[in-house]
Amino acid sequence: MKKSLKTFCAAIAVVVLLLPALCACNGAGGTSSSGRDTLTIYNWEDYIDKTLLSEFETYYRDVTGRSLSITYTTFDTNETMMTKVLENDANVDLICPSEYAIEKLLVAGKLENHNDLLKRVRPELDKIAERKANAAEGDPIKDFDPTFAGMSSLTSNGDGKIEGKVMDAIRLNFSSIEGVAGKEGAVDMTQYMVPYMYGTLGILYNKDVISEEELDKYGWGVLWNVENNEKLENKILMKDSVRDTYVCALFYMYEYDLVPEKYKGKYKTAQELINVTDDEMLEAAEKILTEQREHIAGYEVDFGKDDMLNNLVYADFAWSGDALWAVEESWDDEREDYRLGYYCPFGVSDEGRVRYSNIFYDGWVIPTTVKNPLAALMFLDYICRPEKAIRNSVEIGYTCAVAKQLLMENDEVAEYLAENDYDVDEYYADEGRFPEINEYLGVMRDFGAKNEALVNMWQRAKSGDGVDMSLLIVLAVIIGGIALAIGIYFLADAARLRPRKLRDSDDKTE
Amino acid sequence: MKAISKKFRLTKKVFSFPYILFLLLFVVVPLVLILVNAFLDADKHLTFDNFKVFFGSASSMIVLGNSLLVGVITTLLCLLIGYPVAYILSNMSSGRMLVLLYVLPMFINFLIRTLATKAIFMALDVELGMGTVLFGMVYNYLPFMIMPLHTTISGIDKSYIEAAQDLGANKATVFLKTTLPLSVSGIISGITMVFIPTISTYAISQLLSNGKIFLFGDSIQLSFEQGLYGVGSIMSLVMLAFVLVSNLIMNKFNRNSDAVRRSLW
Repeated sequence: MKKSLKTFCAAIAVVVLLLPALCACNGAGGTSSSGRDTLTIYNWEDYIDKTLLSEFETYYRDVTGRSLSITYTTFDTNETMMTKVLENDANVDLICPSEYAIEKLLVAGKLENHNDLLKRVRPELDKIAERKANAAEGDPIKDFDPTFAGMSSLTSNGDGKIEGKVMDAIRLNFSSIEGVAGKEGAVDMTQYMVPYMYGTLGILYNKDVISEEELDKYGWGVLWNVENNEKLENKILMKDSVRDTYVCALFYMYEYDLVPEKYKGKYKTAQELINVTDDEMLEAAEKILTEQREHIAGYEVDFGKDDMLNNLVYADFAWSGDALWAVEESWDDEREDYRLGYYCPFGVSDEGRVRYSNIFYDGWVIPTTVKNPLAALMFLDYICRPEKAIRNSVEIGYTCAVAKQLLMENDEVAEYLAENDYDVDEYYADEGRFPEINEYLGVMRDFGAKNEALVNMWQRAKSGDGVDMSLLIVLAVIIGGIALAIGIYFLADAARLRPRKLRDSDDKTE
Repeated sequence: MKAISKKFRLTKKVFSFPYILFLLLFVVVPLVLILVNAFLDADKHLTFDNFKVFFGSASSMIVLGNSLLVGVITTLLCLLIGYPVAYILSNMSSGRMLVLLYVLPMFINFLIRTLATKAIFMALDVELGMGTVLFGMVYNYLPFMIMPLHTTISGIDKSYIEAAQDLGANKATVFLKTTLPLSVSGIISGITMVFIPTISTYAISQLLSNGKIFLFGDSIQLSFEQGLYGVGSIMSLVMLAFVLVSNLIMNKFNRNSDAVRRSLW
């Protein structure tokens, strides 16, 4: 017995010791066992034009002379991704989180400064520059810029190819972040990320049920059905996502003066309001969200677009990219119009109500687990090119962060848009796609320690006021039914035991 | 070679090692992790606040209450529907084949089945809510009730029933005094098989109510997804406690009954 126990313990020890070793030997140093370079990208689902990946592989081979194999993995929420990265479970080279998640990862010391990386790959870049000098005219390597002038994260380049207003909005909030692990003083987040896409929060609506006048009049109130539109009742979808739904409640409360007394009229810009997580505000939001449950069809994060297209619901609290994608899908040949529309309530309404909304940015970051920094930097440079960026934009619906001016000047972009049945002028004039970034749009920060209070509030709002009465009724009916059946049985039994007529017993004996 | 063979003997016990190892790695270790996490706050310091957060809030009790109610109702409905079916099937010569028909839907992934159920409700214009969630639960877990019941009932020695009939009992009495007591073990394993998964389920309630019905499983999922490991772990422990308690009660019932100890599970 003792011996077998020993063997057993030894076996466990061997397995435990081997596990990390087995995982670690997989693709160390950015080169897989087959000798090819590797690049692992960790991105949102449906968030890139996938043909670009194989094109980049070819481009990488042309520039460096080595072949590359890209592993593309996806996540569905910032939280899932962060959990993996913070627990050191993600061995990836590139991640594409939202701005607040980037902040959180940065504070946790999980991200690389792009300038440091550039220094680290300098020898390789010098080699490439040499190759470039020797290459013949027309070789794809001639397109390669070893200084990565298009990338906003390399400080000397300023905005690079990125829209200036987008960079300004990011700088406003994230240019000096304190308390970053392993760093002294404030850190500029723009050196750690390259903006990829941006979008707003708004309302995807069915044009048959909600008119533009109604949207202008009621704003965020549409999602609470304040006008008591009978067709809209129970046909509204909200996001099953704490942060988005919370800020939506904030916007609605502020628009309709439902915030607690001391907050009324206090916030002059969306930015001031959007990150308020005081207990009183949370309490008010909980009440508003509990109330909203009575008017909506449910909460979703993925099927809202489809339900809108299938006319199952008529209003959906949506991210602009998803919404614009759905609008395009809703083209009706008979009416020669789109059945759906996207509306982002921001600005001041005709009645003088102040409406704020959220603008969010997703950006590429390079985590400390990076194994192939050269390929990561090259990839970022590659997708910042206007002709590549527009392909992603068309594919996924969000607005790419590359400067609008650069897009408009580029012939290839215009050609690509025309190929995809867009009217080029209309495309750039669409306010849903290119919102005017002003003080009525705010950026959500990481709520930090307050996140827990927020999640608890959301749990309370979702669980409702009390135990579901209908359940108690159903239970009572079932138990009542069983009791009745037992009662009937005993009654029948008692009836059977009555003195019988003679004929009955005659039957029995037969 | 000699040294190895001296130390290592191929006894019957050796064959259990792979499974014990599996259990240790994937059952015991995660449970310990949950237990440890329950006492840690976000910065990994020892704390009891998680308990206060969970037991101190009315909403978590409401969610727990709703889940238990849904579990009890689903189990009762499954029993009420499943018992007659299992009884009739076990009296038919082709019963075995027909039981297969009930189990057949389980060959399809339950998420796909649930999504299909949702599509049907949408097509019929049924409003999603508690009713549809209960339907989905019963639909998904009914086979787990029918299978053990069918095995137990068809295992009952027919001579008991014949004896009861010979002694003059009518049909109802025969059923209540012989078949029912003899199938208690099946009922109990059926109840266990249905009740325990229903109190922890989350996908069905989420899909069939568009996220409006919020059960204990949903709550646990949300906590872990949002990185609140402490509270999530406590919820998991509470769930574990319910599973253990219901198992204990069921075992007690089972021991008290001198039913035929035969069940599929």
